Amino acid sequence: MIRIEHLHKTYRLANRDVTALNDITLEIESGEVFGVIGRSGAGKSTLIRTLNLLERPSSGGIFIDGEDITRFDSAALHKLRQRIGMIFQHFNLLNTKTVAANIDWPLKITGKYTRRQRAQRVTELVDLVGLSAQRDSYPAQLSGGQKQRVGIARALANYPHLLLCDEATSALDPETTQAILRLLLDINRKLGLTIVLITHEMQVIRTICDRVAVIDDARIVETGKVADVFLHPQHAVTRKLVAESHSFDNDSALQPHQFRGKLVRLTFVGEITYQPILTHVTAATQALITILQGTISRIKDTPYGQLLVELNGSDDDIRRVFAHFDQYRIHHEVLS
Amino acid sequence: MSLTIATNVIDLSVINWDDIMQATLETLTMTGVSLLFTVLIGLPLGILLFVTARRQLLAQRGVYLVLSLLVNVLRSVPFLILLIVMIPVTLLLVGTSLGVEGSIPPLVIGTAPFFARLVENVLREIDRGVLEACQAMGAKTHQIIFGALLPEALPGLLAAITITAITLMSYAAMSGVIGGGGLGDLAIRYGYQRFQTEVMIVTVAVLVVLVQLLQFFGDRLVLHFTRQ
Repeated sequence: MIRIEHLHKTYRLANRDVTALNDITLEIESGEVFGVIGRSGAGKSTLIRTLNLLERPSSGGIFIDGEDITRFDSAALHKLRQRIGMIFQHFNLLNTKTVAANIDWPLKITGKYTRRQRAQRVTELVDLVGLSAQRDSYPAQLSGGQKQRVGIARALANYPHLLLCDEATSALDPETTQAILRLLLDINRKLGLTIVLITHEMQVIRTICDRVAVIDDARIVETGKVADVFLHPQHAVTRKLVAESHSFDNDSALQPHQFRGKLVRLTFVGEITYQPILTHVTAATQALITILQGTISRIKDTPYGQLLVELNGSDDDIRRVFAHFDQYRIHHEVLS
Repeated sequence: MSLTIATNVIDLSVINWDDIMQATLETLTMTGVSLLFTVLIGLPLGILLFVTARRQLLAQRGVYLVLSLLVNVLRSVPFLILLIVMIPVTLLLVGTSLGVEGSIPPLVIGTAPFFARLVENVLREIDRGVLEACQAMGAKTHQIIFGALLPEALPGLLAAITITAITLMSYAAMSGVIGGGGLGDLAIRYGYQRFQTEVMIVTVAVLVVLVQLLQFFGDRLVLHFTRQ
């Protein structure tokens, strides 16, 4: 649905050129939630802003439904933007307009609807985001989460096929973040809308994205399904981002030299997460397994678990343990 | 004792209150009419300055520089000089350079560039992100200006209009120097040229009251349109 090909963007700052995007090539499928993660300054904000040409790329193509939007004239660009919703970190609502008027504004812009049609659509939208009671309030009277709900309703007004989220939850507290992410996921499923979001938080990616691209220093360093990237990160930057999100390997109490046996990280994905695998394995072998650290959680709808264990036993025992893990399709990685 | 001295110095009985009334109305007319034209000229000029500036909606370096220079030149001419320089133009426009009519053209030319700069500054204070959100929705530039930028800037614009109205009132008084009419004219003819200090004091007092009233109602309007 969206194909980004060899996208470059260079800014001229003072007397030097700064590269914000360096040869970005990506494909985003219809109906998926696609995340871009990176540190601030990595270029993720520039990337999402090129998708509706708020930012003009220096070279390269952006194909939406087969058409290169970088070649659109201004009339076509206005039409395209009316069909692409966007929400922002700081909400960017009109402070002098009520909730209802903020949501009505993008409908008014198109000039396509009668007053009655617009009023009906606004009512649908305030219901969808759960703000019926606040429809006549001004943004200054709302909480951060409510403001972002208005932002979402406004972005959805013209039945977009694509929703861009520019750090949409970064200004919200963790609880509100979860509520907004649930709403986005709900909308993605109900309306079949494609969502592209950028964030610096792995937690956001893990909660709602299907696929993720990791951007560092203006380049995409890793792309894949969230479970693959999150559980088996390849690039150093990805590893760091993942590690920060669950502080798994950072514990200084777990220095490898303190252990006599083998330090192994086990990763379970899917229903097997809930099976008593370790019990089966210890019953079938003579090996001793000590659990040092562990977590069981979800990546979007998929349960997963990660355990850091110490294995003690003869080489033969340990080989048999690994054979069992392979049989149960448990990914194992020997750390020492 | 001091009270008797004061009453001896300020003898309000010499004042012709009809003259004061007449002059007050003239001052209000001068201020009101020139405020109207100042806004009509200065608001579009200020909007143009804002949208043509660097990295704005219609960034046009050449246009911005020319407008900016024009505004700066007009603003650097002292108002008293402008009053005199403008006389031929005023004669051409309204047929006289005297009285209420004669003072309006120089007042407008003197304050419109000032008001345009105020407008530009008010518009710059509007969150860029809000305008960007409108662009992202597919709004055209005129829709952004009239549907988002100006409504968002309304409280600031009202504050700018209040400041401009007060500036106009003091400039209007100054136009008394070239026979402009109103309280300034009265103060100069009676208070200065005929040594009637009482007239001077009363005109200043009336001006103080008028300025207070303008500021009060201006502030009330700003508050009314600020959605907090």
